Amino acid sequence: MKNNTFLVLKKELREVFRDKKSLAMMLIVPFMIPLLVIGMSALFDSNVSKGVDQVFTIGFDYQLSDIEKEIAKNNNIKVKIEEDSKLKKLCQEEKISLYITKNKDSYTINYDQNKEKSNLALTVAEEFLNQYKVYLQNNYLENVHIDSNKVLNILAIDYKKIGKEEDNFYASYVTSYAFLFVIMAITISATYPATDTTAGEKERGTLETLLTFPIKSKDIIIGKFLSVSLSSVITGVLSFILAIISLIYAGGAFDIYKDINIIPNIPTIVITIFIIICYSLLISGLCIAIASKSKTFKEAQSALTPITFISFFPGIIAFLTNIKTSTILAIIPFINYTQIFTDVSANRINYFYISLMVLSTFVYIGLVIGYIIKQYKSEKVLFNN
Amino acid sequence: MIKVTNLKKKFIKQVNGKKTNEFFAVNDISFEAHDGQIIGILGPNGAGKTTLLRMIGGILNPTSGSIFFDNMSYQKNELQIKQQIAYLSGNTKIYKSISAYELLKMCCEFYKVPSEDIEKRIKEIAKTLEMESFLYNRIENLSTGQAQRVNIARCLIHNPKYYILDEATSGLDIISSQIILDFIKKEKKKKKIILYSTHYMEEAENICDLVFMVNKGKVIKSGTPEQIKKETKTTNLRDSFFFLIGGVDNEK
Repeated sequence: MKNNTFLVLKKELREVFRDKKSLAMMLIVPFMIPLLVIGMSALFDSNVSKGVDQVFTIGFDYQLSDIEKEIAKNNNIKVKIEEDSKLKKLCQEEKISLYITKNKDSYTINYDQNKEKSNLALTVAEEFLNQYKVYLQNNYLENVHIDSNKVLNILAIDYKKIGKEEDNFYASYVTSYAFLFVIMAITISATYPATDTTAGEKERGTLETLLTFPIKSKDIIIGKFLSVSLSSVITGVLSFILAIISLIYAGGAFDIYKDINIIPNIPTIVITIFIIICYSLLISGLCIAIASKSKTFKEAQSALTPITFISFFPGIIAFLTNIKTSTILAIIPFINYTQIFTDVSANRINYFYISLMVLSTFVYIGLVIGYIIKQYKSEKVLFNN
Repeated sequence: MIKVTNLKKKFIKQVNGKKTNEFFAVNDISFEAHDGQIIGILGPNGAGKTTLLRMIGGILNPTSGSIFFDNMSYQKNELQIKQQIAYLSGNTKIYKSISAYELLKMCCEFYKVPSEDIEKRIKEIAKTLEMESFLYNRIENLSTGQAQRVNIARCLIHNPKYYILDEATSGLDIISSQIILDFIKKEKKKKKIILYSTHYMEEAENICDLVFMVNKGKVIKSGTPEQIKKETKTTNLRDSFFFLIGGVDNEK
């Protein structure tokens, strides 16, 4: 003899897996994550590499010396010599990136601050003039028999990276957003079966049939809750696997991740799956609680729309404000999952906070299930008429 | 035996969440149904038939009064009672994404039919209701009549003692209605208790042993169809009903 909760779960899962829309929500949404990870990485990479190997056409209103031509060549500058007025027109037409005018020993860099290419070429033009200035300074000092090296390098400046290699800005940005998208995928995946199993079942008239069976409301609710949770966990884990695969691909494909390991380690993967399970359980319970009050499928969907945003925004705020996890934050739903994930992905594993997150999640789930069971005893909720 | 005593159900009408009106959908109804009896609950739409049967079926809780099934009450023996009930109404729809076989198997599991008997039981029911040709088809692909047979099959599958049939023939074509009426007659012969609500007076006249005419939540007349017709000096239950409520104009 099978227990009633299991029988309801079996019935609900059969419906979820046979419903094309539920399946689509569960399996298609996760495939957005590789697009996000690879797309964001490609965007960052192109922004960072922009200007490094790019050739800029820079106008000059004077003839360049051989040494200036040499410096221009070394800096990937294509030289265009014209009159001042003509150069301005060429710059406006974006035929040249910017132009340099000269009045005795004074040089002016003329650039269009509203154009990206002009702004990128500005650094190159500055470098060009700077190198030429250093050449002139060296030349002058050598003519007066002074060791230019001692004068120009009187002060040595060195740069040393003190940040952890794994704290790469782009890597943490992309992994954080990938996690937020996993959270959003779980939310989207939970809303459809939660709506279908509550308001949908009411609308189709099968709820009354279910109530005639010798089953307690508690078994019906727990069965429904577990089925929605299971589909959310499947979406969450699938999303996470796809996020890892896309991070592995991005790590090898883009220079911004050069010399760093962006692939999460085993403890991070295990704890993240744990976070995904906790979040899936909570969001499934919340979605069922909200949808069960609705009379129709459409009404339930409208009621559940805000939850998609509510689930996403605390995480974004937590990322942007860079707040540190605390005892209070570890028990605030939605924020705690993002905070714990951020900590874990940065190898800051705090088991006390993780325990608080798990415990508080189970307390919230208990309250939510209690509320739904109460709902399912209310005639106003069960019978629309 | 089913014994219903002083059963009442109060509803509160609400408009925009504000309480506007209280009314009794079922107001002090009592009756007894014995083995092998078909009890007809007759009345127009909104008379309180569905509310009454939902309470007897354990879907709604009464405001006051008691319901006993062979000395068992919902307060103490909810699952045991539901185990012996078959509830079929216009509101109890069946799952369409599964096949008739899967539905019947699911019902067997819910009603705790021993696993070794499930296959045999499904085959028997399928044969009785001539469902073999579409047993493995998804319910969404069946005709209305075939789906109705599946709905009856799910009521029969656990061999219940009590049948609660609420407007079971409402909206069905003549063939589908006859399937249900034939099924009721067969179950009566097996000494089952059948509570049958309808607003088709002629239908009730043909199959019911005892009739309770309900209007505005109250029983306005009870007895055998013959008794009611005799006492109201009418030739059919439809005229008896109008006689009892003082005619259509009075009701309006």
